[in-house]
Amino acid sequence: MNMRFSMWLSGRLLVPKGESKYARLRLVRSAALIAIVMIPLVLALIFMDGMMNGITDKYILLQDGHIQLHVEDPLFDSQYDVSAIDPRLESADYVVSGYGIVYSRDTTAEVRIKGVDISYFNENRMTQLEFTGEPLKKEGSLAAVMLSTTIAQKLGVEVGQRVAFMVVPDSYSSVVRPVLANVTALYDSGYHELDSSLLFMNRDDAMRYFPKDRNAYTELLVSRDHVDDLGAIVATLESAMDKNFPYATWDEFNGTVYQNFITSRQVILLVFMMILLVAGVYVSSIAQEMIQDSMQSIALFKTLGATNSNLSWAYFCSVMVVTSIGLVAGVSLGLLIGSQIGVLLHWLGNSGLAGLQYYLLDFRIVISWRDILAISFSMLVISSVTVRLSLGRIRRISPLEMLQQD
Amino acid sequence: MTKELLRFHTVTKTFVSGQSQLVILEDLDFVLYSGTSVAITGKSGSGKSTLLNIAGGLDKPSAGSVSFLGRELGALNDKELSAFRNRHIGFVFQSHILLDDFTALENVCVPALIRGARQADAVKRAKELLDRVGLSDRLQHRPQKLSGGERQRVAICRALVNAPDLIIADEPTGSLDEESSSGIETLLTDIVREEGKTLLMVTHDTQLASRCSTVYLLHNRTLQEME
Repeated sequence: MNMRFSMWLSGRLLVPKGESKYARLRLVRSAALIAIVMIPLVLALIFMDGMMNGITDKYILLQDGHIQLHVEDPLFDSQYDVSAIDPRLESADYVVSGYGIVYSRDTTAEVRIKGVDISYFNENRMTQLEFTGEPLKKEGSLAAVMLSTTIAQKLGVEVGQRVAFMVVPDSYSSVVRPVLANVTALYDSGYHELDSSLLFMNRDDAMRYFPKDRNAYTELLVSRDHVDDLGAIVATLESAMDKNFPYATWDEFNGTVYQNFITSRQVILLVFMMILLVAGVYVSSIAQEMIQDSMQSIALFKTLGATNSNLSWAYFCSVMVVTSIGLVAGVSLGLLIGSQIGVLLHWLGNSGLAGLQYYLLDFRIVISWRDILAISFSMLVISSVTVRLSLGRIRRISPLEMLQQD
Repeated sequence: MTKELLRFHTVTKTFVSGQSQLVILEDLDFVLYSGTSVAITGKSGSGKSTLLNIAGGLDKPSAGSVSFLGRELGALNDKELSAFRNRHIGFVFQSHILLDDFTALENVCVPALIRGARQADAVKRAKELLDRVGLSDRLQHRPQKLSGGERQRVAICRALVNAPDLIIADEPTGSLDEESSSGIETLLTDIVREEGKTLLMVTHDTQLASRCSTVYLLHNRTLQEME
């Protein structure tokens, strides 16, 4: 096969000269349409990954930690630098947790009460929260609690006001009574689902109000790069402290949420593949259109000695170059718009789209290069297959019929 | 000594349309020698173009065989036939079919590029030919900007760019006015003679036919040599 001719012809097809205004417009339109398909795919990928990572971070940093060591008594002093044991560890906090009902004058809210020391709100966790007031600051003998703005709005309370709460015992034999608490601060994690149920309480108070039914554990955070090493980190701790700990990891105690994320992601990637298939069919239609418009030229090339493979390669390369240009433009624009997705979501949120309040609108942009490459590669593979199939038409063009000799 | 270039051996060509069969050529024997020029005349629909198509490897006989430089064309596959047309045949059509989106220079270059020539070499050869037919100032013109006679001159250059053994011309002056026809007749026969090529031409034009060394009449599905 004479690749030199194929490449020359491909170049000429990509840069039509003279009167071929329609051919030029067609190439631009085709690349633009491919870009338009790619932009929402990349945006959706950034949104999906950013939001999943954001929600995961919220759950890990505010609700459950990466690892929970289920040991009744505190393992470390609150000032202890746990990274001295294993540099992969970032923090260790003794937590008391349980369930309760919070009462205001008009309504109630069922909450998960998490008793923590003020040192719990370290630099890492503070990235996930916005405060008003002074978190868990004790004044007098009343319990100090920090509500989310979501719960506070529901209850109709503000910082400095009091609420009543009652723990929900695990056993029927326990006797419980409502007690008063000071709302010392309000927090907003930006994720409605989490905020609607999580209440922070001063740990000493929590230990007082959950004497029997408390669930106490040490909550560990590990650095972002080592979230896959949780088992190994526990083993290092056990070795250093010469003890065995019953423990659970984030994906275990949030199994449903974790599985939902994985399943959602797989379903979305499957939907992406279906969209790419449709895009591939469109790309093949570009090839068909180009061939349809060049029937007589193709017949003449054949008469002059060009083979079917020469011509197929020329058209294949042209269409794939157009596809690649559209692909690169689409991915680039998708990344550009995706990098501003927070601004976009806030604007949409402020524009009164009620449904958006249930989504996490403020999250770190995560670009999954592997998935973007996989989507781009799939697009190229699907397009190349569909284009090759449509190029079979070249074989059926007869020089004799097209030249219309008598 | 002239060598045998093309041989038709008892060639029959039949077109089938539904139940009916139309025999265009029947048991036709014909030999074309290298360096000669042959004109074929005949009525419209007598099968002249069909004969040229078979000679150029664009069509296949229903029966009989065609050999070129001793090699049977029927034994060649599509790829080999394409290479055969590219290396050995130069086509000039009645309606001077050119590529509309390509310049005169590019149109002439195409067969050389298909052959695998470097673009610079193809351009050099095409420029030489276009200069020879007086179109050196029309290199970058597209077919729409050229007159009928100029287009046919471009087509002749395209036919010659690969220095083929045989030029096949189907009514080369058929769509031209009298003045342009005269110029093309002279150009075609002179350039083919100067290049030492063989010419096989179909024409109704008796003046053009008379410039050829041999003239055949295609009548009743066979060729008759004319005095």
